[in-house]
Amino acid sequence: MATEVLWWIFAAAIVVLSAGVVFSRSIIHSAIFLIGSLAGVGAMYIFLQMEFLALVQFLIYGGAVTVLILLALMLTRPDAPGHRQSLNGAQMPFALLVAAGLLVVLFAVITDTTWPGADIDALSEVPLTLVSERLFADFGAPFVIASALLLVALIGAIILARQEEGE
Amino acid sequence: MVPLENYLVLSAIIFSLGVYGVLARRNAILILMSIELMLNAVSLNFIAFAAYLDPTKITGAIFAVFVITVAAAEVGLALAIVIRLFRNRATSNVDEAAIMKW
Repeated sequence: MATEVLWWIFAAAIVVLSAGVVFSRSIIHSAIFLIGSLAGVGAMYIFLQMEFLALVQFLIYGGAVTVLILLALMLTRPDAPGHRQSLNGAQMPFALLVAAGLLVVLFAVITDTTWPGADIDALSEVPLTLVSERLFADFGAPFVIASALLLVALIGAIILARQEEGE
Repeated sequence: MVPLENYLVLSAIIFSLGVYGVLARRNAILILMSIELMLNAVSLNFIAFAAYLDPTKITGAIFAVFVITVAAAEVGLALAIVIRLFRNRATSNVDEAAIMKW
C-alpha cells in the first residue's frame, strides 16, 4: 500500500517535471526540469526491480547527458539579455493537436487491452549477474557494435565542434 | 502492487509531451531534450513489459541498455552540430537554419 502511494507521488512528479521541460519559458529551467524527470524515471526502474538500470539512468542521464546539455546551452546563449524571442514556432497549435491526439489514441488502446500478468502479486528481483550474463554472452555482438557506434559518434562530435584554423 | 497499465499510461503521457516539444519548439537544444523524454518513455515501456510479462525478466532491460547507449551517442553528436550551427549562423533556432530547404 505504501509503495502504491509512493508510486503515485513519483508518477505525478514525473508528469509535472516533463510538462515543465516542454512548457517552461526559460530553456535553462527546461534543462533542470529534465534532470528531475529523468531521475523520476530512474525511480520507476527501482519500482520495477531493475536496480542496475536505475543506476545507469542516474549516472548517464542524470549526470552526463544533462551536464552536456547544460554546457551546450551556456555555449549557445539562446536569449540575449533584454529581448525575449518566441520559444514556439508558428506550428504550435498543430503540435498541440498532434500530441493530444496521440495521447488520446494511446490511452484508449492501453485501457481497452486486457494485459496478461495482472494477477502477479509482487515482482521478483533481477540479479545483476543475470543481466551481465545475458548482456555479454547472448548479446555480445550487439554490445561490441554499440560501443563502436558510441566511439565513432563521439570522435565525430569532437571533429564537428573543433575550432578550425582560420575561423 | 501497481498494475502494468499505470506504467503504460505514464509512459504515454511522457511520450506525448515529448512529441509536443519536438513539434512546437524552435530551439534545437529544446528539441533534443524532448527527444530524450521520448526515448525515456520508450525505455520505461520496455522495462515495464520485461518486468511484468517476460518470464526471464531481462530482454527488455537489455533493450533499454542499448537505447541509453544510442541516446548518449545521439546527444553528443547533436550538441556538436548545434554548437557548430551557432558558431556559423549565431542562432540555435531550427527555423532559422533553413538553408537546405527548397
